[in-house]
Amino acid sequence: MRNYKIKPPQIIILIFLMILVLLAYVLQMDLVILFNESLTKLVMNGVLVLALIPMLNVGAGMNFGLPVGIVGGLVGLCIAVNFRLTGFFGFFMSLFFSLVICAILGWIYGRLLNRVKGREEIAGTFIGFSMIPLMNYFWTLAPFQNRQMLYPIGGQGLRPKISLEPYFYNVLDNFCLLKIGALEIPLGLLAFYALICLFLYLFFRTKSGRATLATGENEAFARLSGIDIGRIRLLAIVLSTMLAGIGICVYAQSYGFIQLYDEPLSMAFPAISAVLIGGSTGRRTWIFEAVLGAYLLQTIYLLTVPIANEILIPEVTEILRTFITYSIILYALLYRDKRGISH
Amino acid sequence: MRNKEPADKLFKLEHLVPTVFLILSFVAWQFSGLSGTFVINQVITRFIRDGLLVLSLIIPVVAGMGLNFAIIVGAMTAQTALLFVINYQLEGARGILLVLFLGILLSALVGFVIGHILNRVKGKEMIVTIIIGFLANSLYQLIFLVGFGTFIPVVNKEIILSRGIGVRNAVDLGMYRNTIDKLWLLKIGDIEIPLFMILVVLLFAGMLYYLLHTRFGQQVKAVGSGNEKAEIAGINVNLLRIKVIILSTVLAALGQLVYLQNIGMFDVYTAHMNADIISCAALLAGGASIKSAKIRHAIIGIFLFHTLFIVSPQAGQNLFHNAALGEYFRSFVAYGTIAFALIINIKHEK
Amino acid sequence: MGNILEIKNLSKSYNGIPALTKVNLSVKAGEIHGIVGANGSGKSTLMNILFGNPIIRETGGYQGKIAYAGKSLQAKSCAEVIRMGMGMVHQEFALLPDLTIGENIKLGREETYQFTDRLFGKKLSFIDRKRNDTSAARVLKKLGIDVDVGVKIINLSTNTRQFVEIAREIARTDLKLLLLDEPTAVLSKDDASNLIEALLGLAKDGLGILFISHRLEEVQQICDRVTVFRDGAVVSQYHKGEISVNNLARDMIGHTVQLANATKRAMKTRPAIRFQQFSVAMPGEEIKDLDLTVFAGEILGLTGLSGHGKLALGYGLMGMYPVAGEVIYENKKIDTLLAKTNILKGMYVLPDDRQALGILPEHSVAENIIFTGNQVKDMFSRNFGRSFLGFIDQKKAHRYVDQVVQDFSIKCSSPKQKLKELSGGNQQKVCLARALTVNPQLLFVAEPTRGIDISAKEKILNLLIDINRTKHTTLVIASSELDELKRVCDRIAVMVNGSIFKILFPDSPDLEFGLALAGEEGTYA
Repeated sequence: MRNYKIKPPQIIILIFLMILVLLAYVLQMDLVILFNESLTKLVMNGVLVLALIPMLNVGAGMNFGLPVGIVGGLVGLCIAVNFRLTGFFGFFMSLFFSLVICAILGWIYGRLLNRVKGREEIAGTFIGFSMIPLMNYFWTLAPFQNRQMLYPIGGQGLRPKISLEPYFYNVLDNFCLLKIGALEIPLGLLAFYALICLFLYLFFRTKSGRATLATGENEAFARLSGIDIGRIRLLAIVLSTMLAGIGICVYAQSYGFIQLYDEPLSMAFPAISAVLIGGSTGRRTWIFEAVLGAYLLQTIYLLTVPIANEILIPEVTEILRTFITYSIILYALLYRDKRGISH
Repeated sequence: MRNKEPADKLFKLEHLVPTVFLILSFVAWQFSGLSGTFVINQVITRFIRDGLLVLSLIIPVVAGMGLNFAIIVGAMTAQTALLFVINYQLEGARGILLVLFLGILLSALVGFVIGHILNRVKGKEMIVTIIIGFLANSLYQLIFLVGFGTFIPVVNKEIILSRGIGVRNAVDLGMYRNTIDKLWLLKIGDIEIPLFMILVVLLFAGMLYYLLHTRFGQQVKAVGSGNEKAEIAGINVNLLRIKVIILSTVLAALGQLVYLQNIGMFDVYTAHMNADIISCAALLAGGASIKSAKIRHAIIGIFLFHTLFIVSPQAGQNLFHNAALGEYFRSFVAYGTIAFALIINIKHEK
Repeated sequence: MGNILEIKNLSKSYNGIPALTKVNLSVKAGEIHGIVGANGSGKSTLMNILFGNPIIRETGGYQGKIAYAGKSLQAKSCAEVIRMGMGMVHQEFALLPDLTIGENIKLGREETYQFTDRLFGKKLSFIDRKRNDTSAARVLKKLGIDVDVGVKIINLSTNTRQFVEIAREIARTDLKLLLLDEPTAVLSKDDASNLIEALLGLAKDGLGILFISHRLEEVQQICDRVTVFRDGAVVSQYHKGEISVNNLARDMIGHTVQLANATKRAMKTRPAIRFQQFSVAMPGEEIKDLDLTVFAGEILGLTGLSGHGKLALGYGLMGMYPVAGEVIYENKKIDTLLAKTNILKGMYVLPDDRQALGILPEHSVAENIIFTGNQVKDMFSRNFGRSFLGFIDQKKAHRYVDQVVQDFSIKCSSPKQKLKELSGGNQQKVCLARALTVNPQLLFVAEPTRGIDISAKEKILNLLIDINRTKHTTLVIASSELDELKRVCDRIAVMVNGSIFKILFPDSPDLEFGLALAGEEGTYA
């Protein structure tokens, strides 16, 4: 966080955010409730944003293939639900299944990306896209037993939206929920988030973590210093994929539903734009930047919904969201450091 | 120093991909139980619909810029032109000419902007064109869903949603439907061959072929072979790349117009979706790579890819009693073909 | 005949460092004008200026006057210069690899059908492939080459590429001046004499030729005039008849009176490392079949003109590029060259391109110094979970880094300062410190003083001598700074075309160095 500099996109986003808060105030919305919700949203999406960091730091660029990890996490969730595991046990088992599956998927994904060094982003995008229809087969054909997951009548396979209500809906959100008047602070949720941040922080201080950072900053240097570049990159990509798996589990328990089929297709983009808003330039990224970016972007998303409903046309929220997301990514691609990730 | 080996492998790949598609299509067709004439008629229709869009991808590939996913922006400019003309209720030949004129003008302008953007990100064009496509889509929706009725005056009330703001999801193109499709319709048994439209597509293919064999085309090839070296050889690389993108975008806009008039219904917000992915996949199915593309790849590719596209849902239905599985299969083929091409080609670059 | 090119008082500097100072030069029509000089003498800067390379404008343009064909030359781009009738044959080929020979030769001047010419204009006219190819083949024949013009450039040998490149230039009818940058460097003797024949023929037809070469015999043989460059200035000029290889070689190196800092020693100890038939495929710096023995405890200098392979040895050893041949280290053959195992065996390489390969600019001084030792040898690690966790023992590291910063007098505000904020000299000291942390027996250093100011250069050189004398580290220093090598080294190996041409000693005469660099056996008094 040394020399943290505010760049044009952040200024625009901050101004935009201030206008939204002002509008919300003028429209007499309950700012405390909005604040409560913003904390939940931060963690709900924040882990997916953190998942980008290992790949950014190893120099493999923005992980447009995030869906690879996400579908891994979804499989984990489905397995947990299939066995009707509830409460914390259910949630942690789903994390466990996710981690195992994501480790395997991440390894394959990493092997593929190591073949396309320097063009990870475009290749990742399409590997991620291809995963979706491939997994659709799985959702349709896998022998899940729990009736509550399956299409009620007609149709075959899992339903697109599986409710977590009877299993582990909001277990983290409601854990150690601190209430001070109207203010609700989800301590448990935040602690879980902090734990993952701490894990990442410690990872980059281990020997492999330091090698990861060195590889991202100067691959040739790392190679001359005896580091096995392929292995380190693979490690970072697997880590990224596994974190994405955890990310979707946290997301689902907060949201209350497992969303399958085409839903994960474009989930990478908001996460990427969040990390960019936080100040990342597509290279070395600090944990702080990912947290800040996730908070800013999610709060904007949160505020646009009621405001748009109030004064504009409802569809505008979604359009505006995608518009912000993609403009930020495009801006980052155009203005990123020339020394960027291509060698 | 590169030796001949990768070149040989690439050569084999050029045949391998179409062969795989041929086998897949044949197998899927067998399972689908669809009649040959039905498939042929469908494929011919798709050939007309998608022909220009696929052709519009060729020149950027030759110029070394990879697959131009931003052709979707060209498609959107064509739709914009169409909507404006429908809004002002211009019909008949005057309407069609104005749509053409506006479409070409807009797409040329947009192409110019995209070309400039791509000159900033040499070597990373593909990911940038994808994001440009997404961004343009948001902008497009913003204009027609929110802008119409607020900033843009509505003349033709029929195309507007009942609340008075935003264009309807579907606009009927009755007045333009199949205006040129049925020209010179040739019937051989049950097979219908709209000779005129096929000739139009082939004419554009011929024009591209011609263009690639002029001094201009030679310069495009040179730039595709190496930016710095082309610069030393006296070519203004940046300007040429902008020209290439303008050309590609304009062609895509024309392609989208052909597509829409053939369908006859205009789904305002979805008609252009996936035009980029499907066209790219079709080109690659014909044996092109992200480094080299020829006219014949486009033509063969459209036939192979669309055959598979048409038969796979029915095959899925018959095999698994679930048409959705066929759908998944074809989206997997579309994305997978591109992913495969990217992984293989980037490796070959080294 | 009049002057085609006239350069008056041309000066150019990059960021305040002069590359050319007050150069005067002229080329007449029909004249072959040779230019000779060692590395960094300003030859390539001159070429870049003449050929309108954008780099020149980006770095602040030049001073002085250039008159071309009677008019003042102010080129903004290569395209403009080409239109004015100048042609250039580049040392690194400017051929487009995916195009055929014919397409390359005729690029921008393709033969087209007259009918479509009239219809759409030249630029959009259909190319007459057959006529195009025959015309290209005709030009190649003029150079004494008979190849299928339909073959793509990537499938050609370097030899043929060179001829294609020259053919492309002479195929032009509007050519007035031809710049040739080391055209014979990659050619065999026979092909080179073929080319020279062709060049003489072209000059007879009235073409002005600026001929850069390090093959002094050739220069002597074909040039009407020769200008010798040294350190960005013209040192001498000879006319035909007065050109002698020895004079050229002497002028190129110059008389440098420098006392050797290192005391002279006779080194005939045991060999530390032996290279046998060693080849490294580093693009632009290939090593071919190199045989070299480095003795334990000596300082061996490695010099040569750029592109002749002196930089590739260290990279090859660390497995950065594909290699062939044998390396015998401490009497044991090394099977695969891997950076990690080689560092563990006691070898270390400091690369020439410090910014791109040598440092982690965003990391701190301390992190840079301990990086390799920590990664490869688990130094400064906490004992707990060393192999996979390996958190750093900050106390141990601090103590070590503080000591090193003091020993090497590295100027930084604190060891936590980012390395990119340090001067070049101090960065190089950090690199050396990093190397010494792993305690190497054999240290390769490439261009140790490049991009470092003069006072810091002395410190680095003294440091290198010091390392050798106190730690008995065997040093191999690859450098184009002959002066510096002479002051530091025990032996100096001169490389030509990727292998050792001659091994000389610091007190060998300058003339001998000059001849060796040019690859001339020559006789000298």
